[in-house]
Amino acid sequence: MLFCYVALAPVLALFFYVRIIPIGFSFLLSFYKWNLISPRRPFVGWDNYLGLLDDENFLLALKNTTIYSFSTVLLSTVLALPLAVFLSRKSRLSAFYQTVYFLPVITPLVPVSIAWKWIYDYNYGILNYGLSFLGIKSVAWLTDPDIALWALVIMGVWKVLGYNLVLFLVGIRNISGELLEAASIDGASDWQRFWRITLPLLKPILLYVLVTSTIAAYNVFTQVYVMTLGSQSAPGQAVRMLVFDIYTNGFQFFRMGYASAEAVILTLIVLGLTVIQFAMVREDKVKEG
Amino acid sequence: MAKKRSLLRRIGLLACHTGLMTGALLMVMPMLWMLATAFKPPTEIALWPPQFLPTDWTTANFTGAFETAPFARFFLNSVLIAITSTAAVMLTSLVAGAVFAKYRFPGRTILFGLVLATAIVPFEAYMIPLYIQLVDIDWINTYQGIILPYLFMAFGIFLMRQHVSSAIPTELMEAGRVDGAGEWWILGRVIAPLSGNALAAVGIFAFIQGWGIFIWPLLIANDQLLFNMELGLTAFQFRFSADTGKLMAGSTLSVVPMLIIFLLMRRRIIENMALTGLKG
Amino acid sequence: MTNPTAANLGRRSALTLAGSAGIAAAATGSRKANAADVTLAIWTGYPELVPWYQAMGAEYTKAKGTKITVLSTTLREHEQKLAAAVPTGTGPDVFDVGQILAIKFIEGGLIKPNPTAVDGLLKSGAYRKTSIEQFTVEGKTYGLPQLFSTPAMFWNKALFKEAGLSGPPNTFQEKMAFAKKLVKFDASGKMTRSGMSLRLSGQGSGIAEKFRFILEPAGGTLIKPNGKGKFSQGYDNDAGRNALKYYIDAVQIEKVDDPKVQHDAGAFVAGNTAMLMREAWVIGEIKEKNPTLDYGVAPIPAWGTGPHKTLLQHNGLWVNAKSKNIDAAYDFQLFLAGKESMVKLTQTSGWVAARADLDWTPLLKEIPQYKEFVNPTEGMQFYPEPVMAAWDEIESRLADKLPGAYVDASLQDPAKLAAFIKAAAAQTDQILKQNDLYGT
Repeated sequence: MLFCYVALAPVLALFFYVRIIPIGFSFLLSFYKWNLISPRRPFVGWDNYLGLLDDENFLLALKNTTIYSFSTVLLSTVLALPLAVFLSRKSRLSAFYQTVYFLPVITPLVPVSIAWKWIYDYNYGILNYGLSFLGIKSVAWLTDPDIALWALVIMGVWKVLGYNLVLFLVGIRNISGELLEAASIDGASDWQRFWRITLPLLKPILLYVLVTSTIAAYNVFTQVYVMTLGSQSAPGQAVRMLVFDIYTNGFQFFRMGYASAEAVILTLIVLGLTVIQFAMVREDKVKEG
Repeated sequence: MAKKRSLLRRIGLLACHTGLMTGALLMVMPMLWMLATAFKPPTEIALWPPQFLPTDWTTANFTGAFETAPFARFFLNSVLIAITSTAAVMLTSLVAGAVFAKYRFPGRTILFGLVLATAIVPFEAYMIPLYIQLVDIDWINTYQGIILPYLFMAFGIFLMRQHVSSAIPTELMEAGRVDGAGEWWILGRVIAPLSGNALAAVGIFAFIQGWGIFIWPLLIANDQLLFNMELGLTAFQFRFSADTGKLMAGSTLSVVPMLIIFLLMRRRIIENMALTGLKG
Repeated sequence: MTNPTAANLGRRSALTLAGSAGIAAAATGSRKANAADVTLAIWTGYPELVPWYQAMGAEYTKAKGTKITVLSTTLREHEQKLAAAVPTGTGPDVFDVGQILAIKFIEGGLIKPNPTAVDGLLKSGAYRKTSIEQFTVEGKTYGLPQLFSTPAMFWNKALFKEAGLSGPPNTFQEKMAFAKKLVKFDASGKMTRSGMSLRLSGQGSGIAEKFRFILEPAGGTLIKPNGKGKFSQGYDNDAGRNALKYYIDAVQIEKVDDPKVQHDAGAFVAGNTAMLMREAWVIGEIKEKNPTLDYGVAPIPAWGTGPHKTLLQHNGLWVNAKSKNIDAAYDFQLFLAGKESMVKLTQTSGWVAARADLDWTPLLKEIPQYKEFVNPTEGMQFYPEPVMAAWDEIESRLADKLPGAYVDASLQDPAKLAAFIKAAAAQTDQILKQNDLYGT
């Protein structure tokens, strides 16, 4: 169909130039050694990949990033969905909540990292303050190597909840009001309507949320890195992430080929997860009427 | 019996709202903190444990920020880049998303898979090769060089594809074709109007991305006159410390346009889309 | 494998070089007349230096007509930008950067050996011998030292008085004892003020760098040269074990510091630590954020009867070999390195200018705490930061291990501590081997 190709041509041309070519170059680079500056690029075959399998920093980053991603995606999806259902009703309060819950998405993380360090502070933070009311001992949220990762998961969920909320609202709004009304007339409870009608019809958006959250979570960098800087910061190794490791290997240790290999591995892993998610959330044909 | 159920319902609602309010407080606190700090003098910012509200309110951070660097210019650059990117992204997402959703053609799955797969690769991994490509076409230190990678958004295409495939009935498109309409007409007059809310979401996300781009404009811009707000704010981040007050002031100003765009687009998202048109 | 972009890169660089050579040749005759048409671009990774660059730039323009533009960004991003722009010929005329990146540029021919005028200034007695050595590669000098980073010990006079201590400690052992008197706990047993602020947590090579503050005076070093151009680890010994034990004692046994409390300059400014080993920029922080703080600056303590030692780190000012106005660039570089200019650098930014022959009296009259930085105590020894590509990785890999070790109770057992040091040192050797730099 000619229309398809004509319509897609400009986007594809752009896509080819700004994605396929540089990414292709970068993937090929993973078989070479390059220090970023000199034009010399000796071929090293699989050495970079073999080196990574032995690299304790890479393996640690892989573990941390996986835990971070799974937790963040799960929590932010599970929390955003009922929130969206609740806030999909048109009311003044809904509008207020939608806006407030979206604020973290546009809050710049570098400036507010200090605010978060204050929230998590052992001595003066509000989380420990709240815990003291419940009689629970203070927790070293950020500085304890065993807890730091979870503190950042909470931050990650905070940042991304509003994004998922907006997407679910879009999805919910597309569900025919008549369908839900008809079900209610037939005697279905709120819970049944949600589970039998809303959720299945949200599958396309749910897939979108899962896939994009996973990709974004595996790519997390600045918002974690910024919490390891300065005073009362998270212990670096406890929250070491893959993209940080790639950046360090490439731009600080000047091992660009090695970093490229790491990027290839990250891409393959997330690609695998994406394929699984597509298979899991099979899009059903919508039955109407 | 009905009264008991209504009471339970009321309690449930109250619990919901309490939970929502607590959550809302946590959502907004860092930004409020940023706003409060923007009005504090340096001596108050250095206090630890910190006070939330300033005792000695001052606007020196705001005025000082504009004195250090041409922030008005940075703001305009951010607006230019973000709006151009958003417009382009919305257009390309709609067209590509619709084609991927409703049209079968050889290579469809592979192409879509590639679009998604390349969105996974971290930008740091390929930004140097991309930079070298732009050196070759002499687009370094130009606006077009900065905007080029942001004229389309893989996630935007993905979202529109999900939306169009589930919310636009193929029957509607067939009806148009039967009446003799061309594919472009269907795209513009059938699909687009029914995609208002998804497009609004794409618009918001594209604007936020375009507003906040950092490392790419940093590589491309050799002249401070091309800097956007994000780059301009680095003027306050020193080697081991920061001019926190001005940083907060600048960041607060930087947040305002994104908030405005969100408020404008929000109603579009919540608005009920037009009825399917297949009644009767 | 042929790579089209790499070939284009080579072609473009060749063209640029040929072009600038042509321009330079044509321009030598009428250089003075064309000075006003020339614009030099300076890139810096220190936003706090921008006011100085701009002021000096304005002066230079008034004197010579050449225009100066300044571009600044945060350090890490600045280095990324240089790494992308300089090799592809889209870089600045003059830039400041540390030596890890500079050495790569030098090796890649992107920074030329100093012309006679610059080389002459460097060797004229205006710079310390250690500085000249740092800026010499295979007999030729490159670039000019711009600023120093030499840590000293900040101490809070008011808190010392309160604890009944008359002056700063002279040895690390004394420091620990003083810290025990200076540390403060609240009613529930939480530390609210650390006796001394060590670098215990976070990310980055800085953790290892701060570890050296104690390791070196104790008699160890991270890598030691074998005299034949190769290196091996220098801390799998008593010094290394003692240094780590010092940290573990401080955190776990004497409890004078705790990763959970506020640290670093922020803590010192806020009065939440009594002692901090840091560089001169903290003075600027104190001036801005807590001007009434009563503090002093003393030399880094010695280890027992050993010598006082502190780190000497340089930042350099470099001219891009691909600059289209390379003569003007070198001229401006010399101008920036002038005596008045260097003093102004310190006055406006708080960083210590790297010339050894400057008159600091006006500065010291205003802020006497600068003394230890600009006129270090007699007998102070300096250990440099080795100029080699693998250095960042060596420090970073050690830095990755240390925060965990500091809070690890099992390392109170000397055997386990020794095993930890041994393993860390083995990794340092491994990195040296990977980079063909290992030799005993």
